[in-house]
Amino acid sequence: MSWPIIRALVTKDLTLFFRNRFFAFISVLGIVAYVVVYFLMPASVDEELDIGLYAPVLPPIFEQLQGDGLSIETVDSVDTLKDGVTEGRFLSGVVLPEDIMEKLAAGDKVTVDVYFASDTPEELKDAVTNLIQELAYIQSGQILAVDISEEIIGPDMLGMQIPPRDRMIPFFAIFLILTETLGLSSLISEEIEGRTAQALLITPMTVNGLFLAKGITGVTLAFGQALLFIAITGGLNQQPLIILLTLLLGAILVTGIGFLLASAGKDLMSVMAWGLPAIIILAVPAFGVMFPGTVSDWVKVIPSYYLVDTVHLSANFGFSWGDIWQNLLILLGFDIAFVLLGIIVLRRKLT
Amino acid sequence: MAGDAIVAEDLTYRYDELVAVDHISFKVAEGEILGFLGPNGAGKSTTVKVLTGQLQPREGQAIVLGIDIARDPEKVQAQIGVCFEITNLYEKMSAEENLKLFARLFGVPRFDAGALLARVGLAGRERDRVEEYSKGMKQRLMVARALVNRPRILFLDEPTDGLDPASAENIRKVILEERQRGATVFLTTHDMMEADKLSDRVGFINQGKIVALDTPHNLKQQYGKRALRAQVTSPDGGLESREITMDKPETAGAVQELFGREKVVTIHSEEASLEDIFINITGRGLTE
Ligand SMILES: Nc1ncnc2c1ncn2[C@@H]1O[C@H](COP(=O)(O)OP(=O)(O)OP(=O)(O)O)[C@@H](O)[C@H]1O
Ligand SMILES: [Mg+2]
Repeated sequence: MSWPIIRALVTKDLTLFFRNRFFAFISVLGIVAYVVVYFLMPASVDEELDIGLYAPVLPPIFEQLQGDGLSIETVDSVDTLKDGVTEGRFLSGVVLPEDIMEKLAAGDKVTVDVYFASDTPEELKDAVTNLIQELAYIQSGQILAVDISEEIIGPDMLGMQIPPRDRMIPFFAIFLILTETLGLSSLISEEIEGRTAQALLITPMTVNGLFLAKGITGVTLAFGQALLFIAITGGLNQQPLIILLTLLLGAILVTGIGFLLASAGKDLMSVMAWGLPAIIILAVPAFGVMFPGTVSDWVKVIPSYYLVDTVHLSANFGFSWGDIWQNLLILLGFDIAFVLLGIIVLRRKLT
Repeated sequence: MAGDAIVAEDLTYRYDELVAVDHISFKVAEGEILGFLGPNGAGKSTTVKVLTGQLQPREGQAIVLGIDIARDPEKVQAQIGVCFEITNLYEKMSAEENLKLFARLFGVPRFDAGALLARVGLAGRERDRVEEYSKGMKQRLMVARALVNRPRILFLDEPTDGLDPASAENIRKVILEERQRGATVFLTTHDMMEADKLSDRVGFINQGKIVALDTPHNLKQQYGKRALRAQVTSPDGGLESREITMDKPETAGAVQELFGREKVVTIHSEEASLEDIFINITGRGLTE
């Protein structure tokens, strides 16, 4: 397979892509929208304190405690509490011992277990600790020896909190990548529908060359846009290499899925009809990370989970190769599977 | 070496159960124009697709330019030009861009799109998008695209379909120029006059089988009938027509009799046409 041939076809496809008003429009609009949203989002951290409480016996003072910037939710087991913290529903989980009232009355030392998520900032931990001390004081009328045992649960995330808008950068980049599923599959299905693929195949171009060219086009479009967005918003502060590699693997993933979609649809409209639900499903893991607690473990069967998770961990928490290599491997596996599957199905349509 | 450009041996293609091309064998010499005729669904386009490597033969083989097309299609495809039956151009690109893309795919150095477009009568419209072209203009661009790589064999599947008489004539001129250059032409058409005028030999295919293959002249000799048609005055004063088959032993007597016994008003001779021959051979017309 010769490169000038591949290059000629890739150039043609990119030209056609940007000539297609619809795709040019949603691509540009996509980037612009995400950049706008990015700059509109608060640059500071959410101040509301959501605290989970498990208390077999509830001291009266804790019951009254609901108020400004603080919301306390009681749960019925320690496990529920821990889950809430891991999933990010609670910034912290507090467990009061069963014998708290007796101990307070007797002036004994009380041990309170407090769970924090690994990304809970230091000042927040202090705030929660102080709050418990304070409550105990009000309840018993004396400064008590409250032994607070802190436990960090969930992955160790260096304990730093990132402003929501920066937290969003990788997700926007991922959404941009996902959109390209449609761009690529429509380019291919137009080629099939217009029978131009047949014209290409009676030149020295081979079916494999055709796939290679389409693959390069898909990856270029998806990765290129993600890169552009990240460059504009400066989202490569941490682990840039991991993020770039992960986005590249993501671009390859959507290329494979684009191949599949192109062969699923008879024409452009049916490609769209298949493509939109596909994109929505692929976007689910991203929502799961952006809005913790909204989706459960089953998202791990969605290939894009490994894309989202890796980018999230390394962009927002500085995770390094040692922590995310498994994710990358799984993602690579999905890449290979989808690209091969896409080629097999699409090849049957082309020949 | 003036060998054979195409050698088909026992070539067979089936779409599932349907045998579209049924064990056909023929040769096309280098520099020859072969007209390939047959009714709708006879297997003409399927034959073209097999010969150009778009479909794999199910049985038999096709040697094109000395290469087994099933074994090394790309090597053959680099040296042939195909004008497809159904228009397949990049509609969102201009004529010029379409041609330049294929010139790049074929690796043609110093390609002059303007000159080629002028040859098919599209000068002045080079930069227009193909979607703005009329059907006939698209068809002419299809022919131009088949010529981009100065092919050694041109496969043309109904190249003049949908063209006005002048444009069709222009395309015929281009086909003859290509032959002049040394190209072999495999031409599918429903236009019998065109086949007659251009082809060195004509092949008839019916239900996937080649039923006749020879020069137009020989075919007419063999299958056609030339006739004399005369209008004579009937006893009641009206006109009646008489027909005498020519080239037969009894022809001379019949002509003598006609002039001796009837009042001939007009007389003209009718040449055998390929269409007659086809009806003769297959028992059906070219249009169903
Ligand atoms: N893609 C296909 N799938 C199934 N059958 C097909 C296909 N293409 C052609 N056929 C069948 O194969 C036979 C030969 O078709 P082909 O297109 O070769 O005919 P043709 O001689 O070119 O006809 P026309 O003059 O109408 O162009 C027909 O019976 C047709 O129905
Ligand atoms: Mg046909």
